[in-house]
Amino acid sequence: MKPAPFEFRAPTSLDGVLEELREHGEAARILAGGQSLVPLMNLRMLQPSVLVSINHCKELSYIRSEEDGLACGALARQWDVEHDRVAMERCPLLVQALHHVGARSNRNRGTVCGSLAHADPLAELPAVALALDADMIAASSAGRRVVPAREFFVGALENSLRPDEMLEAVRFPYAPARSRSCFIELGNRNHGFAIAGVALQVTFGEDGRCSRARLAVMGGENIARRATDTETALAGSVIDEAIAREAGRMTASLVDVAGDFHADAAYRRELVAVLVERALMQVASGAALNARSN
Amino acid sequence: MIAPGHPRSIGKHVPRREDPYLLRGEGRFLDDIAEPKDTLFLSFAMSPHAHARILAIRTDAARALPGVVDVYTAEDMARLVKPIRTVIEIQGYRASSRTVLAQGEVRFVGEHVAVVVAEDPYIAQDAAELIEVDYEPLPAAVRLEEADSETAPLVHEDIPRNVMFEAAFASPDFQSAFQSAETIVSETFRTGRVAGVPLEPRGCLALLDHVADSLLFYTSTQIPHLARTALSEILDFPEPRIRVVTPEVGGGFGTKAQFYTEEVVTAALALNLRRPIKWVQDRREELLTSIHARDHIYRLEAAIDAQGRIKALRTDLTTNAGAYSSYPFGCTLEATGGARMIVGPYDIRNYAFRTRAIATHTCPSGAYRGVAQPSCFMAIEGLMDRIGRKLGIDPATVRQRNLIRNEQLPYTNVLGVRYDTGSYEECLRRALERIDYWNFRKQQAEARDDDEVLRGIGICCFTEVAGAGSGGWRVRGLTKVPGFDSASIKVEPTGKVTLLVSQAAAGQGHLTTFAQVLADYLGVKVEDVFVSEGDTGTAPYGTNTFASRGAVAAGGAVIKAAQSLRQKIARIAAFLLDVDVERVELTESKAIDKENPEKSVDFRQVAQIAYSMTSVALPQGESFGLEVVEMYDPPLATWPNAVHAVVVAVDRRTAKVSIEKYVVVHDSGRLINPMIVDGQIHGGIVQGIGEALMEQIVYDEDGQMLNANLLDYLMPMALDVPRIDISHIETPSIDALGGFKGVGEGGVIGAVPAVTNAVADALAKTGANINRLPLRPSYLLREMRRQQAGMDGDRQ
Repeated sequence: MKPAPFEFRAPTSLDGVLEELREHGEAARILAGGQSLVPLMNLRMLQPSVLVSINHCKELSYIRSEEDGLACGALARQWDVEHDRVAMERCPLLVQALHHVGARSNRNRGTVCGSLAHADPLAELPAVALALDADMIAASSAGRRVVPAREFFVGALENSLRPDEMLEAVRFPYAPARSRSCFIELGNRNHGFAIAGVALQVTFGEDGRCSRARLAVMGGENIARRATDTETALAGSVIDEAIAREAGRMTASLVDVAGDFHADAAYRRELVAVLVERALMQVASGAALNARSN
Repeated sequence: MIAPGHPRSIGKHVPRREDPYLLRGEGRFLDDIAEPKDTLFLSFAMSPHAHARILAIRTDAARALPGVVDVYTAEDMARLVKPIRTVIEIQGYRASSRTVLAQGEVRFVGEHVAVVVAEDPYIAQDAAELIEVDYEPLPAAVRLEEADSETAPLVHEDIPRNVMFEAAFASPDFQSAFQSAETIVSETFRTGRVAGVPLEPRGCLALLDHVADSLLFYTSTQIPHLARTALSEILDFPEPRIRVVTPEVGGGFGTKAQFYTEEVVTAALALNLRRPIKWVQDRREELLTSIHARDHIYRLEAAIDAQGRIKALRTDLTTNAGAYSSYPFGCTLEATGGARMIVGPYDIRNYAFRTRAIATHTCPSGAYRGVAQPSCFMAIEGLMDRIGRKLGIDPATVRQRNLIRNEQLPYTNVLGVRYDTGSYEECLRRALERIDYWNFRKQQAEARDDDEVLRGIGICCFTEVAGAGSGGWRVRGLTKVPGFDSASIKVEPTGKVTLLVSQAAAGQGHLTTFAQVLADYLGVKVEDVFVSEGDTGTAPYGTNTFASRGAVAAGGAVIKAAQSLRQKIARIAAFLLDVDVERVELTESKAIDKENPEKSVDFRQVAQIAYSMTSVALPQGESFGLEVVEMYDPPLATWPNAVHAVVVAVDRRTAKVSIEKYVVVHDSGRLINPMIVDGQIHGGIVQGIGEALMEQIVYDEDGQMLNANLLDYLMPMALDVPRIDISHIETPSIDALGGFKGVGEGGVIGAVPAVTNAVADALAKTGANINRLPLRPSYLLREMRRQQAGMDGDRQ
């Protein structure tokens, strides 16, 4: 559990970080909270030759409520976002998902952007970013670009950033009025990596029907996946037990699941169906968190 | 005997002397010991194959790395040390020996093939990765079921059919009893492969002492005395010149009651290079190479009468020994343990077993908390439930009908083992009451098919073999395990007391409990006693700490030593008080005249005379000093007993298990410190919950361990642990001094079967037969679905 040799850099500005990335490209890794990266380096499963810490870049440490969403800078710690007043009121799905991320001590250190960039198949935040169509803001010394979440996550531990880019920030759209959300997951033990999980936000019309559902699920082999067909099917419906069960079944048939020694594929698939159904019933019954109406 | 006037310390919740320094982070574990400036560090190159021939090892690149001092292979080590050979004097055992680095052939993934010595641990690991080994992969026997066959690849050429140990037994009337019974209930139980996984992995630091001809050896072990003897023999180095010291040990659970190859290598290289050598294991190495346990298959058949009484029981046990016999317990511990302990608290008069340990190309197995008892009680207690289901009798009633009754005690079981005292019926009665058993059964009968959860209740009645003395180890052929323990008491010139015990704690609170025992039996204040252990340079020889033996074996030694020393203190006090020695009573660090209690001398005054530090001379005929060493050999075993009862709810659609209620009624004889005893039970139950619900070491078919990290080897955390309701019954042992029975393993022994039975009970109405561990949701749901499919099939 000793990492392979590496050079350590700790620039004090974003420009400095981007300069390191320009110079070292794929050989470099960004160190933010280090909650996933450091164990993987200790196991020598990752052996970057240059480690670029962003922990001294104060300009990246922000949680900002912008007009079209909540922006979390690359150094925004998970614990701080989880307890941010605006996040709690206007991005409840994000806050609910954060409760499940690691342990409290991990969240003290871990960052929202770090977890997204790491793109673990069983991480909670990619599912939230996909469900909400978050904007991923990529920066390089050549400039900035906004990558939609659906184009950001490529596969397990794989994102679409170029070697000279970093995830500078993420912007989660606010929940519209009359929205309710639910994040649930289930694992072999009551804490730690899940077998499968579901991120759901439903916006209701004044008639109580579902006007817009946003749903992403995770369950093993690949990165979390958006269930757009289920979303379409739910639009306009009154969510009841039969609809919820059908939505679960439909979602399970859409997603990639893979069996491993934690759970076989059949179980994961069945679990996705049950979790989608339960998330919908929670949302429909009002047991789920309400977003503040604007 | 305890002086009637002495305020008792035994039985009190005395706060642990260990807690303040541990809670402040001041515990000094192996890696907290500051190593000398010239210390060198080790890193081992590990086999990536489960079974392969070693064709060539090239170390040039590793040696060329700046900071690397040397690289050793098996050939180099053979010049320094002998192989480790585990001698077990029991019929049916086939000895194998193990070189400390693999020679010619590797037999499990993680086995060491070379070792790097370097100036820092980072360089050592970098260099280990540069060692190039040419392997010729060979077919491997990985799974127990596969290794146990005529056609399986052999793990050792000289061990036919991979059978490292086999034994059989049948009581005289077994055959006729078995054949004459009306009904046979049989079941196969398969337990998971697990490990102790102490929070602190292993490690050691070897240095030459100040005169440079002796070895000072720090190691994170439960067995310093046994390790010292083994080191001396394997290194061919005089035992008096080796001092083994255990620092604070961050958990052992039996994992550290073995003597390991890395300890030999570290010590040998310190002597060879004449430099301090340090090795600290990392988690991956810990999971790959520290002993594994409990990969068992039990095939049980019980011949029963119409009331559910077992008239005859047959056990066929197969255990997975791994690639080598570990030291000193070898591969027989689980195989003999499971087959012998399974009769437990039941009055089973006809019994037969066959038991075997099978070699596989996996990490060696060894002693993990509970040894084979969590698995053998899972089997017999699972069978009790099945007898109930078959006959339509409640499983609690089945147990009541089979338990040894109070009036049968002392009881000699079918294997000739004596249970001196116990409370089998009372524990079960009280456990059923505390968990509100009969009401639960009523509610369970009213449960509906569309309920979200299935509820079940599980019981485990068990005995725990504890405190084994020399006889207990001889019976099992473990002749390298002495069985006695010892205590050395010194009343110092100031009157304060030093107690050295032949134990080595790994979190059990010995510094507190042995002080309590001595306080009462010597008549000294508990705060005047200072306990020390784990240093072979000061402590007397003994068997050390495992198999729930500390309280019984060393507690007995403390009592014996106290009884012998109090005579001398009383004689000197009698001389000072000018009364007959019979009139002297020792209490609260004073000697008083029983007939005139105001008249007393304190221990300091007595000690001043004994050490010749006062104007009063020692009475004629007395020797100087106030010191004594006593050895105590406990009985064959002591027999704590307990009942665990558990209510679970299983989510009908996700098969996730939640533990709703957990009750323990426990009898470990006389309790020394109830708070520490409860802690032992809590900790054991947590490990048992892990073993039952989630823990599993996974090897793929090629023998690669897929989860050698704590992300994937799942252990329970706080959120998985219910509130645990413990109550005690105290039935003192009459065979062991002090009446103590031991408590180290009961928690895990009871938890695995009770949780398993509760889940099986919850799922019984779906038709699912739950008989293998771990009870992960995917396994449970698969079994439920299989039944559903079967039923649907029947309907069509």
